[in-house]
Amino acid sequence: MSEELIYAIADLQEENALALTRQLLASGTDPLTILNDCRAAMEIVGKRFAAGEYFIPELILAGEMLKSISAEVKPCIKQAAVAGKKGKVLIGTVKGDIHDLGKDIVVFMLDVNGFEVKDLGVDVPVQTFVDSIKSFQPDVVGLSGLLTIAYTSMKETVDAIAAAGLRDNVKIMIGGGTVDDQVRRFAGADAFGKDAMAAVALARQWTNGGM
Amino acid sequence: MSQSPEQLLAERKQRLLDTYAMKQPDRVPISITLNYMLARLGGITCQELETNPDKAQELLEKWALHFQPDQIGGVGLFVSPPSVILGDRQTKWPGFGLPPEQPFQFVEGEYMKAEEYDEFIEDPTNFTLRKFMPRAFKELEGFTDLPRFPIVLLGYAGLNFLSRLNMPSVKASLEAVEKMLQWYADNAARARANAQRMMALGFPVGIGGGPLIMAPFDFISDTLRGMRGIFLDIYRRPDKVLAAEEKARHTCADAAIQAARTSGAKYVRIPLHRGSDGFMSIEQFKTFYWPQLKGLMLDLVDAGLTPIPFYEGIWDERLEYLRELPKGKTAGQWQSSNMFKVKEILGDVMPHFGGFPVSLLQGGTPDQVRAYTKKMCESVGKGGGFIMGTNTAMDECNAELVKVWIDATKEYGVY
Repeated sequence: MSEELIYAIADLQEENALALTRQLLASGTDPLTILNDCRAAMEIVGKRFAAGEYFIPELILAGEMLKSISAEVKPCIKQAAVAGKKGKVLIGTVKGDIHDLGKDIVVFMLDVNGFEVKDLGVDVPVQTFVDSIKSFQPDVVGLSGLLTIAYTSMKETVDAIAAAGLRDNVKIMIGGGTVDDQVRRFAGADAFGKDAMAAVALARQWTNGGM
Repeated sequence: MSQSPEQLLAERKQRLLDTYAMKQPDRVPISITLNYMLARLGGITCQELETNPDKAQELLEKWALHFQPDQIGGVGLFVSPPSVILGDRQTKWPGFGLPPEQPFQFVEGEYMKAEEYDEFIEDPTNFTLRKFMPRAFKELEGFTDLPRFPIVLLGYAGLNFLSRLNMPSVKASLEAVEKMLQWYADNAARARANAQRMMALGFPVGIGGGPLIMAPFDFISDTLRGMRGIFLDIYRRPDKVLAAEEKARHTCADAAIQAARTSGAKYVRIPLHRGSDGFMSIEQFKTFYWPQLKGLMLDLVDAGLTPIPFYEGIWDERLEYLRELPKGKTAGQWQSSNMFKVKEILGDVMPHFGGFPVSLLQGGTPDQVRAYTKKMCESVGKGGGFIMGTNTAMDECNAELVKVWIDATKEYGVY
């Protein structure tokens, strides 16, 4: 473990972090150790975001740094180790809505908090959610949407999940834009979240999982 | 309702003008914008609403008379034809990139590369014409062949360079522009006629309306760099972002003042995107967002115009900064901020508009709607300076609940 690398990433020292990664690789450090440092750093980033010290620019920059470090490290790995994930979350922006920002932050935060996340993307048809619940078997389903039209799509999605006999298998959370408890009741979801931290808290509560 | 349309028009106008002037009117005015909700009410698609302006106006008049708000908008705010004519890559419209019954959506992308900041800063006009327009609009790809216009400074010897405008690529793009201009001309004539019709029915037109521009940060973020791009830029090239924002500020101010002088508008709308709580830190807000937005607003105030930013998202953590604005010279339209806090902190600085949750009008009960309306009228409306309105688009609202809400405002909003 390299404390120096962890904090170079967490403190968003872009050039320094990349230089350190190259040094570590050159000196024969196990690439998996470096990836673990990345994970530890992203946890710190996630905590700082949750604490209101970091905002979206920092998440984006951290994500970029992670990408460039991974690009350096990955060719050196023979076989990637899969970390033990604790709970599964299926997530997507509902039909008719193409906004991905809020959803992407939730995915990032769930991921750094140890959840296995499957992201269906944006404008996701109702049937895709149903099919993916069958194949991915998530504990939690997250429905995102910014537009008011999304409220109706959320309701249709929840209804379809129920019609497929899957409603009792999953907890459903919704979020995005002006979503509130009123929308939650309208859509028939189990909970709504105001932000990405709320999504993590809900997923944790429902799975006793995360890290 | 035994009042004549003339009486209603005069009363409603006064109510709105008093509110914008931060005086206490006879009651809280209510202003609604129906947009795509009209399509649903009229049993037509969003696409038809945008492409059949006569039908749209017919529906607007019908529902204006039904709802009887103090002000109503909803046709021609965002419509597809100019974008469709130019092959706009940054928007998707009902029937054009989206199913006919779905509302407009903006598709953010990177239309200026990180390494092009200098080019933009040095000559925004040239960048706009020869880089941005061909990238953002398919039918304007020919503009990449445009001449360097300052060559005309050579006078008679420079004219020859203008012959590039004869190139087939440029000509095709100019034809697309011509087609779009024709649409705008027709639309303007229609808008003038429709304004007369609305006033004849007793509904004021134009109060609170005017040219729409962006905050300097959003100007660079929304259509040029994209949010991802600009948020990396504030770390990687902060000076460039600031220099580009300075150009954006002048462009927006000059364009809005010019447009307002031509149309006689007194207000300028500024929807705000990336400066709200959650997007950026207070430190970043103080460096990259607020000074530039405030500067732009002061430019407009100096020109005798009233800027009305739409404070989208939540601004609860930065309301104090808005106290720096000159009292009574701007107005605020609100989305999800805590309206009671907004009133408390900014009640003496500016009048407020909006903030009523559409979720209640979509899935609430009449009792819930009435109770929340009462609460807002009594606290946010206290002493005047408040126009009742929704927090976001009314597309999916329930017409019965909207009527309940409007009637409740008239009941509880009386001073």
